[in-house]
Amino acid sequence: MNFKLLLKFAMQAGEIMLRSGAETYRVEDTIMRILSVYDLEIIEVFVTPTGIITTIDDQKIEMTTKLKRIKSRSIRLDKVALVNDLSRKYVEGQISLKDAIEELKIIDKTPPYHPLIIISATSFTSAFFTIVFGGNLRDCLISLSIGIILGIIQRLFINLQVSRFLTDIICGFLIGFSALLLTTIIPLTNLDYIIIGSIIPLVPGVAITNAIRDTIEGNLLSGISRGIEALFIAISIATGVGIILKLWFHF
Amino acid sequence: MILQIISAFFATFFFAVLFNVSKKELIYCGLVGAIGWLIYLFIFKLSNSIIFSNFISALSISIMSRILAKLRKMPISIFLIPGIIPLVPGTGMYKTMYAMLNQNFEEAAFYGAQSLQIAGVIAIAIIFIASFDTLSHKRTE
Repeated sequence: MNFKLLLKFAMQAGEIMLRSGAETYRVEDTIMRILSVYDLEIIEVFVTPTGIITTIDDQKIEMTTKLKRIKSRSIRLDKVALVNDLSRKYVEGQISLKDAIEELKIIDKTPPYHPLIIISATSFTSAFFTIVFGGNLRDCLISLSIGIILGIIQRLFINLQVSRFLTDIICGFLIGFSALLLTTIIPLTNLDYIIIGSIIPLVPGVAITNAIRDTIEGNLLSGISRGIEALFIAISIATGVGIILKLWFHF
Repeated sequence: MILQIISAFFATFFFAVLFNVSKKELIYCGLVGAIGWLIYLFIFKLSNSIIFSNFISALSISIMSRILAKLRKMPISIFLIPGIIPLVPGTGMYKTMYAMLNQNFEEAAFYGAQSLQIAGVIAIAIIFIASFDTLSHKRTE
């Protein structure tokens, strides 16, 4: 048995999951399960949202420790599900290690939804949430158009690799500005519902949910860091929207 | 009200697209969101309490996500993350910020506290269901 290869597979699986927005405890669990297939004496896995450290040791082998730093993250829940599935298959013995590594490479290359789909999904999310929160049809249509702008700007900023927080401040600002402008021009519209609906695509859903789930599973470090991430994103959005509201009503 | 629930379906559906949830699961995400919102509206009509209806709704969303995760053999987050989004106190936070801008700190404190309460009960609802999960894990192992 090539334990180095096994460790490599486990680490890569963990890395893809962590990069794609999986809960920290799920990553730890997956790596642990993959490594537990052979009765190794010592298996230690330590995962934080920004890195993975794994150590294996046994009498038959030399002690090996691997560290992987995770720098960029993008939310890809499809990849989380696929890797989760693959690791389960491997642990149950349905797939050999070599095939599993190949499969992992294919999973990592799974393309995300086309940018145009993401942009239209952003605008539909804004539009439908405006109705959910109590807006009328006019509000919904305004949110739809704001959503298109938001989707395009977000795409642009991702390509330019602008930091998440700056993106959120600017997006909040733009949402506020377009909402104010359009509600001034078009009568019988509700500024509040439009803004609340339109900022939903910016809401850090993954950070919020993972913060809660990691905390309950005892991954306190990652619970706190994800919670802080969510808090700062919320503050960024509020700052962006707040600045434009203040300016608009001032002049 | 029916319009709101249908919108909740599509809203959650498209929100799941933003997180790249695979095509086969999108409809289930939408369903979780729509049923969750239906329960929220229903309980709100009965009890007239925002906090209580958020709690019951978050609880049912967690349970639905748990069941779907088992049935579809998927990580629970795929259904839980989009499903819980309609409950996130965006309105409360917006009103808090708005009141602060107008130097109306009394109102800001009211809405701020309300948002915190909502966030708190959602967290407790998720933790509640997740704890059962950990319990059953340990028993089978």
